[in-house]
Amino acid sequence: MEFKEVIGNRRSIRFFEPDKPVEREKIQTMLEASRLASCAVNAHWAKAIVIERDKLPEDKLEQLKTPVTALNVELAPVHIYWYADLGVVNRIEGSRLRELVDVGALAPTHGWTHKFVDEFVYPQILRPMTEGPGYAVAAAADCGIAMCQALLTAFDEGLGACFSAFNSNIAKEVFNVPNDWVPLYVLLVGYPAESPAAGGQRPRPPFEEQYYDGAFGTPFQRDEAVVERLKQANMIQQPATPGNQERMDEIKRLAERLGLPM
Amino acid sequence: MTDLQPLMDYATVKTWLDGLRKHWGGGVESGDEERLEILEAFCGFAGKDPDSVIDECVLVRDGEKRVRAKGRRRYANLITQFQAQVEGSRMTRGKWGNTVRSFLIHNGILLQAGLQAGDSETAT
Repeated sequence: MEFKEVIGNRRSIRFFEPDKPVEREKIQTMLEASRLASCAVNAHWAKAIVIERDKLPEDKLEQLKTPVTALNVELAPVHIYWYADLGVVNRIEGSRLRELVDVGALAPTHGWTHKFVDEFVYPQILRPMTEGPGYAVAAAADCGIAMCQALLTAFDEGLGACFSAFNSNIAKEVFNVPNDWVPLYVLLVGYPAESPAAGGQRPRPPFEEQYYDGAFGTPFQRDEAVVERLKQANMIQQPATPGNQERMDEIKRLAERLGLPM
Repeated sequence: MTDLQPLMDYATVKTWLDGLRKHWGGGVESGDEERLEILEAFCGFAGKDPDSVIDECVLVRDGEKRVRAKGRRRYANLITQFQAQVEGSRMTRGKWGNTVRSFLIHNGILLQAGLQAGDSETAT
């Protein structure tokens, strides 16, 4: 699938085929995509624990459910629990930055040397950063990039997926999560039981409310010719509309088939 | 619980049926008779009238309405017990449970019970 179409086809899928297993190679492909994500100081905070739902003891699966995720946790055959490993920076002490210097990704042209990493970057920037109040936020933002690549890859592989919050205390105990990992989201993965369009692309705020040109207050003007080109490329697709009878009928059919309340 | 009034006299029942129509569009009213019959059976099982069921799942703090986790948990369990004692197939029991869940859901009480479908071939 073309890149723009993958973005256009992504939906938060909430109806999975509960009994259709997900091939392990597809999960690996998602994780491979995640590993290749852009990452500040090459630290790689994002960590994931992959859980096959049917391999979890029933009581543990029950414990992992929250009032808002119980159904999806039960429907999705694979759960990927994502964490920010806050300890990584002080464990690697800049060694991955030195690797970037060695392979020419960071070069003296931009001021980078081993000496700079060892004498300044790690002791004066990175280590103090790990003690600052914004550290977890920065690490989580970085993890978001890696998680997004896994998410989009799921759709490229013909799967459906949806991020959800999860019961981190229970997960920590059940999955033996290290103390310095901060819980982020669980990515629920499976084959969609709903149609690929799933009612259309979800409502979004107007483009001009989100993005600014030069300074806050000056909206970045949306060029309709670009919008048209992205429609042709299937990145911008039919939007979901309120009360779409076709979508309502689809949900009714799913509710009946899966035994869900209406 | 004192005897139930006609169910349509309860505000929460009206909210439920209005919610169903508003969300799902026309045609859902054909199932109202069965819905009300099931809700009535549940009220008998729980020993509560419909408005009390919702009241016990909600609390008002500082003028804001909130879901009372304990109440919701209690009713989620009661619904599971209720459907377990219904005679018939697993599908029928699921339908009875889901009808009561729908009553809570359309009154703003988020409730998820997982799959109630009986046969694995229905979910392939």
